[in-house]
Amino acid sequence: MVGLVGENGSGKSTLMKIIVGMLERDGGTVELDDRFGYCPQLPLLWSKLTVDEHFELFAGAYGLDESEAQASVATLVDDLRFDRYRSYRAEELSGGTRQKLNLAISMLHNPELLLLDEPYSGFDWETYTRFWKMSERLREEGMAILIVSHFLPERDRLDRIYELRDGMSEET
Amino acid sequence: MSGSTPITGYFLIEQIRNRSTVAMLVAIPILFVVVSADVLSEFASALGGSVAGSSAAALGAGWAAAFLAGALGFFQIASSRDADRRLALAGLAPIRLAVARINASLVLGIVVSLLAFATLWLRVGVTHPLHTLAAILMFAVIYIGIGTLVGSFVSGPLEGSLAVAFIFLIDAFSGPGMSASDGISRLMPTREAADLLIAAGAGRTSPTGDWLTVVATAAVALVVSSFAFWFSARPRR
Repeated sequence: MVGLVGENGSGKSTLMKIIVGMLERDGGTVELDDRFGYCPQLPLLWSKLTVDEHFELFAGAYGLDESEAQASVATLVDDLRFDRYRSYRAEELSGGTRQKLNLAISMLHNPELLLLDEPYSGFDWETYTRFWKMSERLREEGMAILIVSHFLPERDRLDRIYELRDGMSEET
Repeated sequence: MSGSTPITGYFLIEQIRNRSTVAMLVAIPILFVVVSADVLSEFASALGGSVAGSSAAALGAGWAAAFLAGALGFFQIASSRDADRRLALAGLAPIRLAVARINASLVLGIVVSLLAFATLWLRVGVTHPLHTLAAILMFAVIYIGIGTLVGSFVSGPLEGSLAVAFIFLIDAFSGPGMSASDGISRLMPTREAADLLIAAGAGRTSPTGDWLTVVATAAVALVVSSFAFWFSARPRR
């Protein structure tokens, strides 16, 4: 579990977008296995679709069959405690619940690499602590996790931390 | 989940749950046909054109379908751009995404065309129903292509909707029967479709060659817009 920190505007989210393929890079190379999960800083959702409809769409994109998808969704909504919102449209969710959905989508297919951009913004304290416990469990199960944030108070939980400054990353 | 059909279904649900979209789908075709026939005749007269009566009403139905299809095509792409790209990053082939988006627009375009056609029929009657409906549908398909093309490259809702409206206005007011000048209308995408509708409104049929040209124009619009959407949604790796 690796952290990437940096001041506002240092390019953390830009770097993340380049890694996942949202932005074109103007140099260098990115080596990335197809089986990754990406949680963007702002929830990228369809406002009129329900939580379950989001899961169905992404399960199809990830290539999950119905039973795999159902099992994964059940675990995620339970872990993040938003089971009762599954029939709600994204536009009806609070900011924190939208972020839970945003995060859950990135983990739906149990990726080998999870790329999280400010994943806990909008979370209450209970969800925040649950997020870290869940991340530690996933790491123990073999998942690699990159967390990008301007604020990483839980440094002890991370294996390595890099700081992005003036376009260069440096291990701290 | 296989093919683009289930994804198209989700994209349609997304549009239909938007009450203002549904209101527009119903109101605009009716208003265009009911209100615009006389206005189109007056505009045509002022611009040196000749379209009037049933032909003007038929042309109004085509423009109603074109306007709505273009607007829906644009907003469908522009409002979901980032979420669609996330879906492509998750593994959905961008071309399948493009086909699903355009399929959703085509379904809405058919609904709009049917409403415009029904209003036209009720208001002035239709001599050649299939001919008229097909020509109205061609207007919608061509503008689905234009809306999707603009939406693929213009991210701002204001800039994009202005671009679609600008193309629509130039197209509408320089088209056959609307202007004495033949200059710019030769470059506009709905020229042949407008000829077909004017003929249908006047109770005439059209040569097969004209139909083939319109179908080819609509097909090119769909192919170009699919490619544009694929280009904008593809992962940058």
